[in-house]
Amino acid sequence: MITGTGVTKTYRQRGNLLGGRDVQALRGVDFAIEKGGAVTFIGESGCGKTTLGRIVAGLETYDSGEIVIDGTPMSGLRHRQRQAHFRRVQLIHQDPYSALNPTRTIHQTLHAPLALRARQKGRSKAWAEERARELLTLVGIDPGYVLPRYPHQLSGGMRQRVVIARALTVDPEVLVADESVSMIDVSLRLGILALLKDLRERLNVSVLFITHDIATARYIGDDGELYVIYRGQVVERGPTEAVISEPVHPYTQALLSAIPVLRGVERPGAERVVPTEALDERHADTGCLFARRCPFRTERCESERPSLEGTVHGHACYHPQPRAVIPVEASA
Amino acid sequence: MTESFAPGVRVQDLTVVYRTPVGELPALAGVGLTLAPGTITGIVGESGSGKSTLALSLLNAVQPPGRISGGSVEIDGLGDVVRLTGDDLRRARGRQVGYVFQAAQNSLNPLKTVGKQLLDLGRSHDVADLPALLREARALLGRMGLDGGRVLDSYQHELSGGMRQRVGIMLALVLNAHLVVLDEPTTALDMITQATILRIVKEVHRERGLTTLIVTHDIGVAAEVTDSLAVMYGGRVVEHGPTMDVLGSPRHPYTRGLIRAIPRLSGDIGEATALPGRPPTLGTIPAEGCVFRERCPLRMAVCDTVDPAPAAYGERTVACHAVGRPVNLAVRKEYV
Amino acid sequence: MTVTQLLPAPATPRRNFWRGVLRVMRRKPSRMAGVAIVALFAFMGLFGPLLYPSPLPRDDNALYAAPSWAHPFGTDFEGTDVLALVVTGTRYVLLAGLATAVITVALGTGIGLLAGFHRGRWDTVLMRLTDLQLTIPGLPLLLVLSTVWKFTSPLEMGVVLGVLGWGGIARAVRSQTLSLRERGFIEAARGLGLSTRHIVGRELLPSMAPYIAMNMLIAVTGAIYAQVGLFFLGVLPFDANNWGVMLNLAVFGGGALTSAAALPYLLAPLLAILLLTLGIVLVVDAMDEIFNPRLREE
Ligand SMILES: Nc1ncnc2c1ncn2[C@@H]1O[C@H](COP(=O)(O)OP(=O)(O)OP(=O)(O)O)[C@@H](O)[C@H]1O
Ligand SMILES: Nc1ncnc2c1ncn2[C@@H]1O[C@H](COP(=O)(O)OP(=O)(O)O)[C@@H](O)[C@H]1O
Ligand code: SF4
Ligand code: SF4
Ligand SMILES: [Mg+2]
Ligand SMILES: [Mg+2]
Repeated sequence: MITGTGVTKTYRQRGNLLGGRDVQALRGVDFAIEKGGAVTFIGESGCGKTTLGRIVAGLETYDSGEIVIDGTPMSGLRHRQRQAHFRRVQLIHQDPYSALNPTRTIHQTLHAPLALRARQKGRSKAWAEERARELLTLVGIDPGYVLPRYPHQLSGGMRQRVVIARALTVDPEVLVADESVSMIDVSLRLGILALLKDLRERLNVSVLFITHDIATARYIGDDGELYVIYRGQVVERGPTEAVISEPVHPYTQALLSAIPVLRGVERPGAERVVPTEALDERHADTGCLFARRCPFRTERCESERPSLEGTVHGHACYHPQPRAVIPVEASA
Repeated sequence: MTESFAPGVRVQDLTVVYRTPVGELPALAGVGLTLAPGTITGIVGESGSGKSTLALSLLNAVQPPGRISGGSVEIDGLGDVVRLTGDDLRRARGRQVGYVFQAAQNSLNPLKTVGKQLLDLGRSHDVADLPALLREARALLGRMGLDGGRVLDSYQHELSGGMRQRVGIMLALVLNAHLVVLDEPTTALDMITQATILRIVKEVHRERGLTTLIVTHDIGVAAEVTDSLAVMYGGRVVEHGPTMDVLGSPRHPYTRGLIRAIPRLSGDIGEATALPGRPPTLGTIPAEGCVFRERCPLRMAVCDTVDPAPAAYGERTVACHAVGRPVNLAVRKEYV
Repeated sequence: MTVTQLLPAPATPRRNFWRGVLRVMRRKPSRMAGVAIVALFAFMGLFGPLLYPSPLPRDDNALYAAPSWAHPFGTDFEGTDVLALVVTGTRYVLLAGLATAVITVALGTGIGLLAGFHRGRWDTVLMRLTDLQLTIPGLPLLLVLSTVWKFTSPLEMGVVLGVLGWGGIARAVRSQTLSLRERGFIEAARGLGLSTRHIVGRELLPSMAPYIAMNMLIAVTGAIYAQVGLFFLGVLPFDANNWGVMLNLAVFGGGALTSAAALPYLLAPLLAILLLTLGIVLVVDAMDEIFNPRLREE
């Protein structure tokens, strides 16, 4: 189990011609990833999703707050120990093209971490070879076909499966999937999502799923938690189905409204509202971060920042609006 | 002599081949498609299905190693573009057909401001009144919710993905083209930016009286904005018809599989099922028989040898042996 | 345990690699020509001195003789065959060129990798060092050195030129490393806990191989120009037989620029240099394809 409390991250930017300024990518984020659970973060580009995923995977530092992995706080540890803990969290990159070394065969790619693993466990070389085949079979590809090949000889979907197999070589407890299917062919996406879902069930690994396609979050786990993040703050959080069907924060409602409706199969929800103004980091951050684009803002919203309230289904808004925005099934 | 009307487009039997080390392979094989004047048509399909190639053919702009090897593209007011050459062709691009390239987010020149690029465009099309062109560009950008003056003074890296996409649309429309082709206009944008771009596309389409073609791999995007929808697979249009009908009652097995593979916000999420197999590439498209048969649940004996020809069913065109005749399950079992 | 579980000969890389190289080379006739030229010079460097008696025979009756069947490029001021001079001079030039290239590339790559991969303090220190190297004025230093050093061995020559020339490569390799280390596969390797040695040696270095090989070949030509230039200018004392020496003697001794008699004597080493450069340039063209499995296998 991994928990984060009050995680903040600011990217300091050196001033350039554009008038560089610091970007607060995360402003005190709390989260908990249960063993075998599914946690999804959604939000627009630049809201801090990738930053959070990289911090959880130990690839990025954080400024303040605490990350606790299985009861061990990370901030007190020395670099080496911390790396060892973070090894239990593996990141699946968005781009399966750059995630595999083009000059190495899949066999070479999988062999390196497995050989290390074999040494740690006192296992033989043959074990590593056997394990490579086992993992590839587990992610649904034919080891005989894939192993001797270079990444460019595989399709996008196969590559992403290899990336997942590679992450599994170190027996991780959490897989961080950052937009992991957005660069994969439409007909193959569901296969990868099904694989992640399957790994949850079979290996009991948890999945931290980062996306702006909310529907895929339902697929990974309808028993999961959904976090809506805006400009580095979690503005709504709750069970996936509840947040999708009864969103209360205006930003969540905007995100849901923006999802295209499959006309012919679905009908638009009753009230869809998409902000016309674009997200701009330079907007004021004194009050509610969403105030500038929010149709319901009041004076209070502009001076005071609401914090996340509520236990099961929480939101950070002074004027929560129950609204029906999701599409409904069209009557045949 | 730009006329203000939405042109119709008739693509007939279009074949485009790419030269590869193993000879010339068809990326489009005998494609037929009609864009009704004033409508928005969507083309969906997986990577490599030939969407961009078809879109480029509308301007006779397929680049070597590719070439149009057969068929015709009739555009009202222009004639058969496949036959246009030299200056006529150059004038047609931009003046009559506006094109927003795939990954328009990265297709601007990083070393020149948007305004400079606009002036280059104007000069290459012999626009006499450049200040008027700038005014028109500012108005268009303003129409799309941007500060026109500032955008024209900006370099590519100073604009966000959504802004660049809008600049792409502005450049396609500024010469008053009435046929607009958008290749993957929202790929790599987040949901809210995507919704904004789609709204703009719809509004501009209506206000200026355009015929619009949108290429996308995202069925949701097509569903949101298009009037009619063409589904491509392996260099063929396998199904085409009014969007609502195609999505509501898909007839080609590929269209059905594709729609079923979309996780949706409503309904039973467990119903989403992956399509087995993977899309063919240029080298693996079967030379004879139906190109979809390796992944098709309805495959029959005839599918292995005869490429199904598109047939009209009311407003719909479908290319599949199993459509319009009862499915013989016994035959199917043998070949799955 | 059983051995039957072994993988079906995955990627017998070595054999595949050389077969791939051959395939890449065959793709363009120009590359084969390049290989032939380079091979010819390698042969001359290896066996050239064995083909002729040492010292080379002189013919006092044929000083500055015009080209003929016996002397395709004529003879020099002592009546020695120019072709023989070029052939026997190859070894020094090539050895010095190779030594220079090995040293510049080894130093440059090593320092660039270290700086780029570790960043931070390492980077600052190493880049200072690189700047320092880049500001050393090479020619004056060589002038000074030549007063105490004879450079009879081509390896000495190579060491000096190498130590004076790694800065550019170090900078380039550093910036390549900086951009590569952000790539997904390097990040994944770090996340999996693989050793730095593995990451640098097995992941980073092969990705930069075409780049390094190209630099190496270009460094060879650079070094050849440099040393030939130094000898030609008479900056270095010469007792060895060498193309630069030939040029020097042809111009300053034979007046090749004013009289036609010494012209072949001048042209022969020039031709040799140009031909070798051409050969290398033609081969460099193939490096990208050789080290990129995608381009190699197709
Ligand atoms: N320059 C080229 N040389 C060789 N083959 C090409 C070239 N351009 C495209 N192709 C091939 O033609 C086929 C159709 O390509 P096209 O770009 O039209 O696909 P697309 O449907 O637009 O795909 P995407 O969704 O990836 O943009 C593909 O198999 C592709 O590999
Ligand atoms: N390495 C970095 N240096 C500076 N700013 C960064 C860096 N990475 C991300 N940011 C900024 O932090 C914010 C959050 O980014 P990110 O986590 O990538 O968001 P998301 O994944 O939600 O799109 C953005 O404003 C982005 O520009
Ligand atoms: S706090 Fe106010 S401004 Fe912020 S989301 Fe709620 S209503 Fe809108
Ligand atoms: S023609 Fe045959 S194989 Fe092709 S889609 Fe129809 S039923 Fe399937
Ligand atoms: Mg991101
Ligand atoms: Mg395309």
